[in-house]
Amino acid sequence: MSMSNPNMRNIGISAHIDSGKTTLTERILYYCKKIHAMHEVRGKDGVGATMDSMDLERERGITIASAATNVEWKNHSINIIDTPGHVDFTIEVERALRVLDGAILVLCAVGGVQSQSITVDRQLKRYNVPRIAFINKCDRVGADPERVKKQLCEKLGHNAVLMQLPIGLEDKLKGVIDLVEMKALYFDGADADTVSCQEIPEELKHEVHKRHEELIDAASLFSDELAESYLEGNVTSEQIIKAVRSGTLQCKLTPVFLGSAYKNVGVQPLIDAVINFLPSPYDIENTALDLDKQEAAVTLKAESSLPPVALAFKLEDGQYGQLTYIRIYQGEIKKGLELYNSRAQKKFRVGRLVRMHADNMEDIEHAPSGDIVALFGIDCASGDTFTDSSLNYAFVSMFVPEPVISLAVKPVDKKSEDNMAKAINRFIKEDPTFRSFVDPESNQTIIKGMGELHLDVYLERMKREYKVELETGMPQVAYRETVSRHVEFNYTHKKQTGGAGQFARIAGIIEPYADGDYLFVDQIKGGVIPNEYIPSCDKGFKKAMEKGTLLGFPVVGVKVTVNDGSYHAVDSSDMAFQTAAIMALREVYNKAQPQILEPIMKVVVESPNEYQGNVYASINQRRGIIVSTNEDAQFSEIEAEVPLSEMFGYSTVLRSISQGKAEFTMEFLRYGKVPQSISENLIKEYQDKKK
Amino acid sequence: MVKAELIKNSPLRILEKSTHGGVGKGNIGIIAARKGVGKTACLVHIATDQLFQGKHVIHVSFSSNTSHIITWYEDIFQEIARRRDLSDAMQVHDEIIKNRVIMNFNQEGISIRQIIKSLEAMIHQGAFAADCIIFDGYSFSKGNPQDFKDLKEFAEGSKLELWFSASLSDDETDFDADGVPGVISLFMEQIAILILLNSHEGNIKLELKKDHDLTPIQNMHLTLDPKILLISRG
Repeated sequence: MSMSNPNMRNIGISAHIDSGKTTLTERILYYCKKIHAMHEVRGKDGVGATMDSMDLERERGITIASAATNVEWKNHSINIIDTPGHVDFTIEVERALRVLDGAILVLCAVGGVQSQSITVDRQLKRYNVPRIAFINKCDRVGADPERVKKQLCEKLGHNAVLMQLPIGLEDKLKGVIDLVEMKALYFDGADADTVSCQEIPEELKHEVHKRHEELIDAASLFSDELAESYLEGNVTSEQIIKAVRSGTLQCKLTPVFLGSAYKNVGVQPLIDAVINFLPSPYDIENTALDLDKQEAAVTLKAESSLPPVALAFKLEDGQYGQLTYIRIYQGEIKKGLELYNSRAQKKFRVGRLVRMHADNMEDIEHAPSGDIVALFGIDCASGDTFTDSSLNYAFVSMFVPEPVISLAVKPVDKKSEDNMAKAINRFIKEDPTFRSFVDPESNQTIIKGMGELHLDVYLERMKREYKVELETGMPQVAYRETVSRHVEFNYTHKKQTGGAGQFARIAGIIEPYADGDYLFVDQIKGGVIPNEYIPSCDKGFKKAMEKGTLLGFPVVGVKVTVNDGSYHAVDSSDMAFQTAAIMALREVYNKAQPQILEPIMKVVVESPNEYQGNVYASINQRRGIIVSTNEDAQFSEIEAEVPLSEMFGYSTVLRSISQGKAEFTMEFLRYGKVPQSISENLIKEYQDKKK
Repeated sequence: MVKAELIKNSPLRILEKSTHGGVGKGNIGIIAARKGVGKTACLVHIATDQLFQGKHVIHVSFSSNTSHIITWYEDIFQEIARRRDLSDAMQVHDEIIKNRVIMNFNQEGISIRQIIKSLEAMIHQGAFAADCIIFDGYSFSKGNPQDFKDLKEFAEGSKLELWFSASLSDDETDFDADGVPGVISLFMEQIAILILLNSHEGNIKLELKKDHDLTPIQNMHLTLDPKILLISRG
């Protein structure tokens, strides 16, 4: 299977949870003749959808891990990267987005554009991913694709244009009208295998005509040829498709398709749309950083004759060891080829090269430029770059947020302890927002992540995949400390009792610093501290700031200016100045009125209007501040800022105050000051624990 | 300048003096003008002045998104802080921002009853002790005088000061003997204060057209500076 570039698509299916993404994915796989039976997400037969590879996901009906699946459609090769729908797993979404060339944004015809659609769309926008929209669930009661299309424009700022109209809605949904070809499409057969193309029903003709004109109007902005043909009255379907494609690739137009994956309506035209409107790797420009040239950006070309550059974007534990999914950005990769991992600075040979299908994998000899395939038995981490040894490239380090929550875990026996180590090793490689360390004081293993649910998923995976029996502590918030006063310090470190002595004196100012975590300013004049010891002072302050004295969390937002000091020709040393700096900070820290900072989360709740009062109350009880509310006929979207420490268990609370109808998303916003009374309690708890 | 001085020297004190204490709790005030003259700027300045005084403000709007409203508040705050050289501006900003909520209604033809219900939920269940509510973008031409009876009752019951903007069409010529535009005349019974923004030779004057039930009506000598969009003396 060596297809040329223009016939390849790497796409993602991005969606709000419960908008039917998994069902849609499976329908696509089915129609591409790769799997032989269809199952619902929570199928009665218990088989579950193919893309959900983990039990846990099956149980929750959501998709957590991204996997790449290859299908064929009308002589095109499509790789579907299944992006996770839940915001707690943002890092996985972001990584998957890196390798996409285009996306289908799935929206629910009833629920419309909800808060998570906004998050997902924003991420696609950030990576400049061209997208087409699919309004799913048109068979449901209350389906209103027109309203959803309007929301796409208003809430997400898309220039959306309908490519289809529904024939009937809700339980009367019969098919769709193709506004390009001007035909009615019906889906016949047991599993709607055949698409029958018929005349447009009389009663819809007027509306269809109007929409056809609207479509040409929107499309002609992207093609002079189409605009001219329109004036001359001889527009062809090819011209419309070409114009819409051009608008879509520039992210300036979003063609909107509709149907119901569950009822098998509109799926095949959507796959056609992927080919017609989303880019091939050839259409996309990607850049990497040249590590040999101070990380200068270099443009990659999806041409097989050039040296290979590939990104490892996903690891999975398979039956035969680690499976590494890679996206080839340039050149081609062959079995037996020697590649170079630019992070690990190690060479390795490509052993087994496989293409992943929905239900099996296929061993292949070579993979062309632009393709997404998997390697077996390679030791690497997610995000590593592979090249041949002639290039030393790396991909831009993706934005990785600092973890905001931590949890102590304790295995119950030796076997669990060993397995836990394996599991944690694996997770760290897969997900840079998941961290782990052993607390030297308590000797406990601490895991850190982006939220309660994030850590929950890993705890469950440890239990199921690695058979780890665990006891867990209470989740801990990652606090920070800072200073709020300008203070002067002057500290002399002196140990001159026999043998090699130690001497260092440093003086200067410690003050709040708003623009970053830490700034060191050297204002030493006349060499009162020799140049060689200035970095020692800097290092000492950094060390002292790793742990504040209020709660033992890192100190941030501090500017240290060193403007005086003295040294001893024999007794001064790197160590002596480091110690002096550490002691200087400790000595004046309390005078600088240290304060505790806590992570403040941006919380967006979507709730039916009838429960908005309950939601307001729940935010108020959590020390939250409501920033704004946005209300339409049915739903309120409430944006608030709430301290993370108050958000534990919020999903349960929200469910119970809204009869399960409200939902929320949460992301880290900034660090904010902890109120005095709460600070005092935290400090007291910390002091008690230390005793 | 510290915050207390800034409050004392605000041109809005003149507005209060001219109107015998301002709109006052339980009352409704209106700022009317043609499109693009500066109604929103005036309302946001009034709201910001209330926020400086430690009061709680709900800003009700009727648009498709709320980010530009937040931008309005940021701009007006920055401008005041810069011109008055406010000390600890960032800290003041962070303090007052907590006392402001933006409630946007993007449903066409939403009823005042529904809005009052949502406001009550915010005030009571959300424990947001509002002092003042700004309504920017209510359509008087589509509105109904009963709405204002309900609003007046709500304002009295919850001890709130209500400020509205009213948009006049470009060819509005229908003014009554007191200078009240026709589009608002049906609502005047419930209105305590009416201010007209009149654009005249590059200046925008704030003209008081109704001052509770008091006469004569004073000249406020206030303008809206078109460059910085703040209410100023003049």
